[in-house]
Amino acid sequence: MRSVTTAVLAGFAALTTVALLSSCNKRAADHSPAPVDAGEHALPPPAASPADTGNWEMPGKDYASTRFSGLTEVTPANVGKLGLAFTFSTATTHGFEAPPLVVDGTMYLITPWPNLLYALDLTQPGAPAKWVFKPKPSAASQGVACCGPVNRGAVFSKGRIIFNTLDGATIAVDAKSGQQVWRTQLADIQKGETITMAPLVAEGKVLVGNSGGEMGVRGWVTALDEGSGKIAWRAYNTGPDKDVLIGGRYKPFYAMDRGKDLGVASWPPNAWKNGGATVWGWLSYDPQLHLVYYGTSNPGPWNPEQRPGDNKWTAGLFARDVSTGEAVWFYQSTPHDLFDYDDINESILADIPWGNGRRPVLLRPNRNGYFYVIDRRTGQVLSAAPYGYINSTRGVDLKTGRLIYAADKQPKPGRVTRAICPASPGMKDWNPAAFSPVTGLVYIPHNNLCQDEAVSPANYISGTPFVGADVKMYAGPGGNRGVFTAWDPMRRRAVWEIKEDLPVWSPALVTGGGLVFYGTMDGWFKAVDARTGKLLWRFKAGSGIIGQPISYRGPDNRQYIAVVAGVGGWAGAVVAGKLDTRDPTAALGFANATKDLPNKTTAGGMLYVFTLPH
Amino acid sequence: MSSRFRTSLLLIGAAALLVGGCSREERHSRSKPIGETVGAGPSPDTIFPGGTAPPPLDARAKLYDNNAPAIADGQQLFTQINCVGCHSHGGGGMGPALMDDEWRYGSRIDQIATTIAEGRPNGMPAWRGKLTDDQIWKLVAYVRSMSGLPSKDAVSSRSESMSGPTPNSLTAHSKPQPSDTAQQQ
Amino acid sequence: MSFDYQKYQSAFGNAGVGNHQFLVLFAIFLAVCAIMYVAVILFLVGGLLRRRRAGEANVVESGRHLRSDPLMRTGLIAWGAVVGIGLVALAIASFITDRLDAQAAAQPKLTITVTGNQWWWDVQYNASDPSKTLRTANEIHVPLGIPTRIILRSNDVIHSFWVPSLAGKEDLIPGRETDITIVPQRAVIFRGQCAEFCGVQHAHMALVVDVDPYPEFVNWWQRELRPAAAPTNPLVLAGYRVATQRQCASCHTIAGTPAGGNVGPDLTHFASRRSIAAGMMPMSEGNLYGWVADPQSIKPGTKMPTIGLEPDELHAVVAYLETLK
Repeated sequence: MRSVTTAVLAGFAALTTVALLSSCNKRAADHSPAPVDAGEHALPPPAASPADTGNWEMPGKDYASTRFSGLTEVTPANVGKLGLAFTFSTATTHGFEAPPLVVDGTMYLITPWPNLLYALDLTQPGAPAKWVFKPKPSAASQGVACCGPVNRGAVFSKGRIIFNTLDGATIAVDAKSGQQVWRTQLADIQKGETITMAPLVAEGKVLVGNSGGEMGVRGWVTALDEGSGKIAWRAYNTGPDKDVLIGGRYKPFYAMDRGKDLGVASWPPNAWKNGGATVWGWLSYDPQLHLVYYGTSNPGPWNPEQRPGDNKWTAGLFARDVSTGEAVWFYQSTPHDLFDYDDINESILADIPWGNGRRPVLLRPNRNGYFYVIDRRTGQVLSAAPYGYINSTRGVDLKTGRLIYAADKQPKPGRVTRAICPASPGMKDWNPAAFSPVTGLVYIPHNNLCQDEAVSPANYISGTPFVGADVKMYAGPGGNRGVFTAWDPMRRRAVWEIKEDLPVWSPALVTGGGLVFYGTMDGWFKAVDARTGKLLWRFKAGSGIIGQPISYRGPDNRQYIAVVAGVGGWAGAVVAGKLDTRDPTAALGFANATKDLPNKTTAGGMLYVFTLPH
Repeated sequence: MSSRFRTSLLLIGAAALLVGGCSREERHSRSKPIGETVGAGPSPDTIFPGGTAPPPLDARAKLYDNNAPAIADGQQLFTQINCVGCHSHGGGGMGPALMDDEWRYGSRIDQIATTIAEGRPNGMPAWRGKLTDDQIWKLVAYVRSMSGLPSKDAVSSRSESMSGPTPNSLTAHSKPQPSDTAQQQ
Repeated sequence: MSFDYQKYQSAFGNAGVGNHQFLVLFAIFLAVCAIMYVAVILFLVGGLLRRRRAGEANVVESGRHLRSDPLMRTGLIAWGAVVGIGLVALAIASFITDRLDAQAAAQPKLTITVTGNQWWWDVQYNASDPSKTLRTANEIHVPLGIPTRIILRSNDVIHSFWVPSLAGKEDLIPGRETDITIVPQRAVIFRGQCAEFCGVQHAHMALVVDVDPYPEFVNWWQRELRPAAAPTNPLVLAGYRVATQRQCASCHTIAGTPAGGNVGPDLTHFASRRSIAAGMMPMSEGNLYGWVADPQSIKPGTKMPTIGLEPDELHAVVAYLETLK
């Protein structure tokens, strides 16, 4: 008897040891640092969010789009001492949305039109420019850019800086010498197309999307070969399945997204050719699933009476295989969009606690006001919770995936529909949120705007706007036009909120040191505590801030925080375009919401780099 | 006052009204014959070397300036031809504001006609061939009315857009400023 | 193709359910009012005749009360009763007609949206499948015997939709949506007219309603969904180029081509329509030439401008338009 017991116990001990050893091996292969409270909150997938090298090589910081810097030198305790290290004028004043890139001691800046690319030598005092690349895009392209001749960023890959120009070219420049390696013309301004987005580079492909949802453009995403710049594949986002690259691999989760040639059948005849679904926002990438995720823009025209039907594949989220472009799944968050609720916002990759393990999801603060948590393998919506005041829709039916519209807020011809919330820029527009693996919170810079809208028939003339709507925006409930929210995606509620007078149009940055950085439209660059939202430091820049702040490790191993201040874009059009606010419908209605902006700031384009005293 | 004096006074008054309203309400529904084009009029702000003078105003200007049907037709065309998509109802957007007093390319009626027909750098499309000259001049008349330049009695006192800006007949007339070079790159 | 559509613009045409109800009501009103009229005339004549004989009844004698003429009293009471019954009968007849009309219109099988513009009709056929919706202008095809609901809107001023042989008038009011349901009962061509003054060319804003049996109507719809015919010879190709690259494309749509304007009528199947310029002239080559060359001389004040095409451009454009069947 005793020998049997001993044998059994020895067996158990052996098994346990083996189990422990094997799990030890697994942990050794996983290079990410051990997270705090690992079982409780969302975390980015390690493959898409590797450890911070101190560089900032792509606009979203990593493929998971966390915009999280792992550097910890600047903390809530010492941020009060943060001061200017150096400044640099970009010599442009059209609205600066791009992040500076920093790669091994050189900083790269891509400006709005005329899309100058600067390389600054961070190893020298005062960071002098090493070279400037001037792509000379056509001046006429400014006339077909709906919301400022902006550029949302460049990307560094394999020794090259790759970026898009407003008149529709993608250019790869050698990062050391500043010489052009290749240039591919992709968009045609005569059709009203421009390119403002930041490309994504993955698996040897450069992914580029066009802009022009307000110009009757047909939207697409194109993959270029990273080495040569030749087109590898192009997927349209409206039209027959063969153009949209929908084939055998396409398996949408919801029935409403299933069918043959829906990109034609859900439109009146020929309307899909000018139907929008452009790709002017953010792409994310999952290296393990080999999928690239991006959202499509609003359908054209804004007047919904001219396009009955669901209008596929507008205002929805695509998952495509990055090497072939085949669609794997699609989810339409806003079918038959009534309010310009583009779906181009960022998709943050996260693994959330689910049952006994973790489920791979996308976290998406959407234009339509809902914070979506979507399974990134299948497109299933796990939750959609409002992160602000909504009266234009009643909710998302999780069984069918459909957005439920409020009948009294639908725009109808011949009358004005009042107090539609959120307004057309949405609860949050393109400016991306940041996600901290330390706190598990998503830091969302967003709007609190409502609008009145009147629709009328839109006339299509290529190269001119195709809208058909008059809009007037104003502050939402509470009177503040902007909000900065720290959102808990697991508990589906805000942890803290900062009300801002003006819409918060700048992206967010969150650091491992526990700070969140963002800018306001009147020029205040703020640092707040990531856990509590308490304002710890601020600096008044020369112009409003709508650009992505970054944090990097300088050549001296110190932490730096950089942002370019230059108000503009759709929200800042009043200042950047010198518009007349006596017309409340100017800038598609935004002029009414930012009537006071010219008194609070002026146009600019200045880089500010901050650090702690050395 | 004798009744004969009153009658003649009334007759003179009526005649004055008739004559005054004549050209304002005259409807030019026909375009000029084939081959007419809008000339490229130089800006009066241009330097004219050697003491030369700017060229005289195009003869068609007086048919459309201060002409109520032309301004009304131009108002309708402004929305139909998508001018409103870039310029909104005078406040601007993708394109500059048209209701203020800053005129990048000149505010004279023939300069605006050239702007519309030929396009301008920085993004104004060229409409020659896509609109008839008659339509271009009507649009010009309306564009001028947005910043209060024509006489008030020719301009519509109702703005057609949703809770629109101050009606054009109430827009204060501000002297046009010379070309703004700050935005030109 | 010649046809006498003048015959089918009569309010006595009795070709649609609405019009039929109207005619029945008209007959009732006519009968009742005729009886009333005759009675009143009889009373008047009677009154005139009796005037001489009633002299002594008019003398006022002090202290004596007059007694009413018994005949007059009976007559007036009877008259009051007749009027009362008559009015009530008319009210009931009117109410019943209205309800019968509504009943006939209760289950529309087809919905069309007609938008009035100065001075033409924009017609859109709605379908549950959005890729089968259809846009045309100035000519409506409807199936025989099937209730068709027409939603009415206006882009500028008040117009009024009136196809006298089929139904009554219904206004198109900017900012509002009104509707009328027609149930045609004869498979012929009808003419309608704008019935509310809407500007200088109000008199020339007509429309054609073509009633077909249901299978032919479906065939027509299929044909209309096809894109415009592609050019087949050099002259037509030249006309295609002018139409899609010059002023035409700013305002007109020709499906399947780059011309996508919707300020003016859809021209995709223009040549298969029976009239030009909203019923102004019958469709024919000569009329097309005249219209395209100078619309302002034919319909002065219309929104289509005189472009001033060169002669060979005019030949080419008309040749192209004639292929748009």
